[in-house]
Amino acid sequence: MVMSPTIGAPGLRRTFAVTVAALGMFAAVTSGHAQSRVAVGVTETISSHNPHGDSISMGYGIWCQVYGCLGTYDFEKGDYVGMLAERWEVNKDNPNEWIFHLRKGMKRHNDGKELTAEDVVHSINRMAKDPQTRQKQNVRNVTDVVALDKYTVKVVTDKPTAPLLEYLFDRVMITGKDLWAKHGARDADRKYPWGWGPYKLKELVIGQRIVLEKVKDHPDAKPQNPDVLIFRIMREPEQRVTALLNNEIQIAQFVPPHLAPRIEGSGNAAIKSTNSVELMFLAMSPKNKPWDNKQLRQAVCHAINKDAIIKAVLQGQAQRLDGPIGPGQYGYDPEATETMKIPYDPEKARQLVKQAGLSGTEVTLYTPVGRYVNDKQVTEAMIPMLNAIGLKATLATPEWATLWADVQKGKVPFYYMGRGSVVDPSVALSQYFETGGSPRIGISDPEIDKHLRAEREIFDPEARKKELNKAFAAIVEAAPACFMWRHRLLYGVSKKIEHTPTPSGRVFGVDIVVKN
Amino acid sequence: MLAYVIRRVAGTIPVIILISLLVFMLVQAAPGDPADLLLSDEATAEDVADARARWGLDQPVWVQYWKFLTAALQGDLGTSFRYADPVLTMIAERLPATIELAVVSIIIAVVIAVPLGVWAGARPNSWIDNLGSLVGLFGISMPNFWFGIMLILVMSGILNLLPSSGRDTYGIAGDPITGFYLLDSVIKGNWRGLWDGLAHIAMPAIALGTNMMGILMRVTRSSVMEVMHEEYVTTARAKGVSERAVLWHHVVRNALVPIVTVVGLELGTLLSGSIIVETVFSWPGSGQLLISAITSRDYPLITGTVLTYTMAFVIINFTVDILYAAIDPRIRFDK
Repeated sequence: MVMSPTIGAPGLRRTFAVTVAALGMFAAVTSGHAQSRVAVGVTETISSHNPHGDSISMGYGIWCQVYGCLGTYDFEKGDYVGMLAERWEVNKDNPNEWIFHLRKGMKRHNDGKELTAEDVVHSINRMAKDPQTRQKQNVRNVTDVVALDKYTVKVVTDKPTAPLLEYLFDRVMITGKDLWAKHGARDADRKYPWGWGPYKLKELVIGQRIVLEKVKDHPDAKPQNPDVLIFRIMREPEQRVTALLNNEIQIAQFVPPHLAPRIEGSGNAAIKSTNSVELMFLAMSPKNKPWDNKQLRQAVCHAINKDAIIKAVLQGQAQRLDGPIGPGQYGYDPEATETMKIPYDPEKARQLVKQAGLSGTEVTLYTPVGRYVNDKQVTEAMIPMLNAIGLKATLATPEWATLWADVQKGKVPFYYMGRGSVVDPSVALSQYFETGGSPRIGISDPEIDKHLRAEREIFDPEARKKELNKAFAAIVEAAPACFMWRHRLLYGVSKKIEHTPTPSGRVFGVDIVVKN
Repeated sequence: MLAYVIRRVAGTIPVIILISLLVFMLVQAAPGDPADLLLSDEATAEDVADARARWGLDQPVWVQYWKFLTAALQGDLGTSFRYADPVLTMIAERLPATIELAVVSIIIAVVIAVPLGVWAGARPNSWIDNLGSLVGLFGISMPNFWFGIMLILVMSGILNLLPSSGRDTYGIAGDPITGFYLLDSVIKGNWRGLWDGLAHIAMPAIALGTNMMGILMRVTRSSVMEVMHEEYVTTARAKGVSERAVLWHHVVRNALVPIVTVVGLELGTLLSGSIIVETVFSWPGSGQLLISAITSRDYPLITGTVLTYTMAFVIINFTVDILYAAIDPRIRFDK
């Protein structure tokens, strides 16, 4: 009985050859594109056409190069630099008033309309009032915005706010007042996403990709910058690395340490790294027992061998923190930080626990799983260290949504977590450690409060940095948290381009050079 | 037949309402608050309260459900908390990608599994039967997320033959007509787009279809083996009908009922299985949408997507029942 024609050896070879040829065509189709197209494999998606409808770091970076924003923090200079604003100052007689001077002659994509102060006023107001906004917190301190003339904007705050640029610079997207008035918010965002940035929005497929096209006559765009910049949503790290090595993408964001050797060994891409601006810490909420005991909190900070964990668990891809912040972040002072250093000293830690009368106390350390690099392994390594000082520590690993909701409500006494986007630390430290901040830690310490309030009212940069360091020292002394490290962000970068990643994790087309 | 159809349609309505209630309640009972998850790290308690009020979460659950149900009956599944777009529109935008993936998976599974199963069933204990059993075992045992990652590693990483993820290459597909990229490419005569679409769908479809292929192969084999011993097969052989005609005209035709049942049931499983595969391959379908909705506790989007899957299961089962009659004239729905 013959069921089907027999496929002999030549037939098999022919079939194989046809299959390979077909697959080869697939490959040719998918990899054949112009040299000036750069694709970036990223982990997050923009979830809205509304530039104020999301509050994620990558979203701020993308919208900032499309719509344009007033300025950004330059990590190399260690200071803020203007983008659509050419300069700014605080009113010496009234520190609640800031004046921003806009660049002249900035033409909008598609219709050439010039940027005016009215657009900036409209954007700040929209950020606060748009029903879909998720960025209201950035303009919470702003009580009034006024266009003084065509190119000058006055921003009034409710109290002196030295870190205002952290809120306003690359977080406020400048959208056109006229487009919004003419088409309404929804149509303006979807059909007329025109701005003053060096790239224009070509396509936004939520959850899949964002495509930007260079505005060739923009004053900040250079010929060597990619003509097309594509952000592809690729959540799996394996996928990003494979796509990089295939030349499907040219930049792979957030490569886990264990995949880095594959990239380094490939010959066509390299690993570039930078310290993130996310602070990793162990939080101990003093409003919950036994964490109301300062000696216990200090003991925990002495008990954790940060260097060993960085070396063994994080494969060296983290930078130890000895205070709330590290190099490159606003206010960092190496000398002052040296005085805040808490050495690994399990003997001292054991004595502190004993003095507190808390030997044998059961504590539970909560950690997210998969949100931060090797978070579970890191906290697993901490458990024996905590047990070694006389505590009975166990690890809890709830799902992120549950853990975060409980942390937000102050229901988690002891947890490992990160606080991202800390360029100027004022906002983050106030949120976690100032009385009346969020309930996530819930400490109330007059010394911390005094310095955090004071630094916000000092506009002289050097004097403010000194006051910030006093606040850092007060926080380290009170120990509501042990500051652990900042992860090193690893990026896979194709050798066909030049790109240096920034600690903020944002990727700007004007910072990428396509090699010939 | 018409009475049967009406009865079945009427029977699905309470099922769907019950499922909507269950999903709504389960979603609400899950720990984690959408406002906490969707707002920024720096949002205040006041911002959270504003968002909760805007989304109607400050109202009693039964009021929320009643509003959802009355709106859903009018074709409105609400607005996504995270994306601020109508849920129905979002699902409609994503569903073609999921359906396209499921259909291609089925085609791959059927084209491989049915001939192999027929052959194996017709020649038990032969080398082809052993091969078929091996294929079946592989398909059933292989977790599709792991198989997907292995495919990426081999086909993209080592051989560099297929794109590692996504649905298309930017700039090739052009504007969508139906939302089904392969179909759109054929309609437009965009052969480059068709190749590009096939290249992108190949790995996710194989990863998704392998499990179904294993099951289908085994079902086909056992069904064919069973029918091979029926008296009408012996009669056909006694009448001198060729073995090939016996197999394809008499055996396979009668073995089709369980095969169609499995294909129907597995189509539903493919839709739900695509949730994982879509994540592995960054396939922009409704499965990926559901995952993002769950992680951000986007209640309307979770409920809307799950209801859509429920509807799909109901429709598939219904279609399979109707197909029985077409395949097997002995089946009647009159009573």
